[in-house]
Amino acid sequence: MTEAEFEPTIVAFCCNWCAYAGADLAGTSRFEYPPNVRIIRVMCSGRIDPTFVLSALRWGADGVLIAGCHPGDCHYVKGNYMMERRLNFMKNLLGYLGIEPARLRLEWVSAGEGGKFAALIRDMTMEIRNLGPSPFKKMQSA
Amino acid sequence: MTEPKKLSKKTDAAIEALKRQRLRWVTGISQVGVKIDERKYHETVDRIMKDEIERQMIIGAIRDGGPLTIRELSQATDIPPNQILRHVIALRKVGEISEAGEKGDEYLYTIP
Repeated sequence: MTEAEFEPTIVAFCCNWCAYAGADLAGTSRFEYPPNVRIIRVMCSGRIDPTFVLSALRWGADGVLIAGCHPGDCHYVKGNYMMERRLNFMKNLLGYLGIEPARLRLEWVSAGEGGKFAALIRDMTMEIRNLGPSPFKKMQSA
Repeated sequence: MTEPKKLSKKTDAAIEALKRQRLRWVTGISQVGVKIDERKYHETVDRIMKDEIERQMIIGAIRDGGPLTIRELSQATDIPPNQILRHVIALRKVGEISEAGEKGDEYLYTIP
């Protein structure tokens, strides 16, 4: 696979109450964003287990996005705070394994922020494209 | 071991380690309501993460080519022998590995 051909695959874990509705709004509002993202709906960003992130990268994702409710807006009160606290650990873990921590991103998207969701996907696609394929993908194509 | 193979083994070990109670306790729901200094929390989590991954790498190496001595485990995992010894003591204590005879002047370790 040459660099020019590289199209990243991004797995986005979206909270049911905010970000997933935001993604839905982006669609119904016809905001354009790259088709590189695969959205997985979860009930809360606090539900994201570190194994989800590692497994996504291990099995072909080039980047992982976790999108949850804004601080203070969590449907389950503090799920997003728990996720935020876990993020530092997850980034350290990726660094320790030799995977760029920038491949993992946590963002807050409310149900009314369809435009923000589309812009976020555009931005992250660009960022991951600049980073290149994940080390696992490089391994497969070697 | 080649670099890509090493990365896969290490990541698989990390996934296994993350399923275990020790890491789940510090990264999971049980942290709610626990008062702990932020810096100390991150240091502890970091140390436990590395320990758990290294222990799963040792178990993986024994499963692949055991029984092995500490020196052989060190070669198979790229972890220094003194670290291996520390992990072996801990793993033996919880019964995840056991002694399986001797090779030269070293003990061999296997999965019981």
